[in-house]
Amino acid sequence: MSAITIRNARIVDPASGRDELASLRVENGLIADIGEGIAQDSDHIIDAKGAILAPALIDLRAAIEPAFTPGGETLDSLARAASASGIGTMVISPTSDMPMDQPETITSLRAAALPLPVRILICGGATKGLAGETISELGLMAASGAAFVSQGNGPISDTVTLRNLFSYASGFELWVACPPRDPGLSRNTVAAEGEAAARLGLNVEPTVSERIAVDRDTSLAELTGARLMIDRVSTRDGVDAISRARKRGIEICATASIASLVLNAVDADGLDPAFRLSPPLRHEDDRRALVAAIESGLIDAVVSDHRPLDLDRKAQPFAKATPGSISIETLLAAMLGLVHEEELDLASALRPLTNGPAELLGLPQGRLEEGAPADLVLIDGDAPWVFNTRSSASARRNSAWHNRRFQGRVLMTMVDGGIIYNLKG
Amino acid sequence: MGRADFSYDFPHDRLITVDDLNPLDIQILFDRADYWLAINQSPDKKHDALRGLTQINLFFEPSTRTLASFELAGKRLGADVVNFSAGNSSAKKGETLADTARTLAAMRPDLIVVRHETSGAADFIHRETGLATINAGDGMHSHPTQGLLDLFALTRRIGDVGGKRVLIVGDILHSRVARSDVGMLNLLGAEIRLCAPPTLLPTDVDRWGAEIFHDLDDALDDCDAVITLRLQKERMSGARIPSAREYFHFWGVTSRRLELAHPDCVVMHPGPMNRNVEIESGLADNSDRSLILDQVEAGVAIRMAVLEQLGQRVRKNAGPGL
Repeated sequence: MSAITIRNARIVDPASGRDELASLRVENGLIADIGEGIAQDSDHIIDAKGAILAPALIDLRAAIEPAFTPGGETLDSLARAASASGIGTMVISPTSDMPMDQPETITSLRAAALPLPVRILICGGATKGLAGETISELGLMAASGAAFVSQGNGPISDTVTLRNLFSYASGFELWVACPPRDPGLSRNTVAAEGEAAARLGLNVEPTVSERIAVDRDTSLAELTGARLMIDRVSTRDGVDAISRARKRGIEICATASIASLVLNAVDADGLDPAFRLSPPLRHEDDRRALVAAIESGLIDAVVSDHRPLDLDRKAQPFAKATPGSISIETLLAAMLGLVHEEELDLASALRPLTNGPAELLGLPQGRLEEGAPADLVLIDGDAPWVFNTRSSASARRNSAWHNRRFQGRVLMTMVDGGIIYNLKG
Repeated sequence: MGRADFSYDFPHDRLITVDDLNPLDIQILFDRADYWLAINQSPDKKHDALRGLTQINLFFEPSTRTLASFELAGKRLGADVVNFSAGNSSAKKGETLADTARTLAAMRPDLIVVRHETSGAADFIHRETGLATINAGDGMHSHPTQGLLDLFALTRRIGDVGGKRVLIVGDILHSRVARSDVGMLNLLGAEIRLCAPPTLLPTDVDRWGAEIFHDLDDALDDCDAVITLRLQKERMSGARIPSAREYFHFWGVTSRRLELAHPDCVVMHPGPMNRNVEIESGLADNSDRSLILDQVEAGVAIRMAVLEQLGQRVRKNAGPGL
């Protein structure tokens, strides 16, 4: 197998803090060397021309649609969209349409994912049908290769059920992802409480819903020894509650969706169902708190929360539309927007997309060091472009990012030393 | 060893939990159970140790084997035995437990055997009536004759359990059998291990003087005996355990898994068992390994021993002339 050397690249590795112009040599699917003048005569040489070379992204939350859904997102279409977006590893998460609550489902999805260029991990449904009533076969799902388990978008109402779920999962040391939403305060709500939603007459969820849920769930995690993943915090109240729980020394982690980090309720103003999301878009103050929590490391991972939906479920009045947006192709560019706005430095922006999620799941990729898998992304950090759903590689068109202008494009994606996407074809 | 060697008489007028017993009491009961076990294997099973005494079996929970075991034990010792079961008792008509107890006591029985779904019920009946009460299972609290018969059967097979490594695997949280077995094993100086998913362990279980495991393979290492517990059907459907197949995969005791234990390791189950849930069917039927039927046989003998001792106390307390 011939080696590849990428020279003249701005090598940015959040894990080590490295940020320098250098070369990186890939051999046998692994990173063989990083430094100056390391290319050998037989190498295939790529001149990066100063572009950013970072670990390929790891997205802990993306959904597909059930098999044979007409026009639906498949593993195949999603993997194509992901590879063009700099993603090397992607977790398929359960949804109410596809609860993934059986070990057999985990096994068959993993088998179907094997030939795909992107590394695909499967997140199992923590309760049957994600109904929050009965525990799924967590042990058999773990034995079938589930990366972790998730309760989807629906919080568990009954605290005894939640305690038993946490307690049972702790025996297998599985992360359990739970949405930080109080079941009562979030029920039937479609927007964040505030001036805009009040004017529009929407059922609203207060931000304390997150605080109550984080306090409740972290308390039960403390009691049971479970590994709780707070799945998409979206408010300052939620961030504060996570900070308090971390100070108590509980083993928890937290994620945020790219939409919550970049968009706010003003973007959703006007009842466009494309902006009907879960969690709902919050206020600018909440968004800033999330950005600060990324910088401080309180939030471990940023997820695309890619949710493909057919037109019938989105072409509805705002309150009736199914929440969710396709987001995988805009994940990196939206994150780079925070760097261009000088809200985050580049390493802080890339950490929750690379090393952060890798550490949670104990993955060897997500870092640039000798011996690590050569999962890489080459980025032109400045190239301007406009996202248009018509040119999307995803099978669906429901996007909160349609017609949005971005700066920063993926030039090349590499997984296991193989180039899986090249902008220039 | 005969009882004369102890210069000690069985001092108890009730058996609510094994925690009331000391090692001498247990020795007395095991000695007498040995004797009754031999008698029970002969064609001449009827004796008169309890002749003239009345034994009431008051069962508020459905039971086949425990009730039959107590009934046979009492009858073989010559007592007059009456069974009251929940289906046709006054409890269904709204009578309080205290009234039921006092009503039955007014019929002048001498021994009362109680099974009830509430922890503390047997103790309550003893305090209400003053009768010689044997707890045949109260809620999740205690089932002392099961603890006695388990250790009696085990001792007969492997000898003194002192220093032996005994594993209890299954629904320890809800099990009065586990609590009684742990009490017995502690009294007899065994090394106790408990293994269950975290949802089936009490939170303070680490204070029971046992080593706690979630992984059965780890727990089985060099064990001399494994006591499997019954998993109630209603607990297999997702509340605490996702499914029976998952339970069997991780916590079912199988011949293959047993290779991790001591080569002579035996397996026990209090019954009724769910085959291929708690225990592999073939293993349950393997009489080289399985003590399950020995436990049933030991049960009658142990209950005879307990009834005999309590019956003697009844006679003694009543004074001479009776």
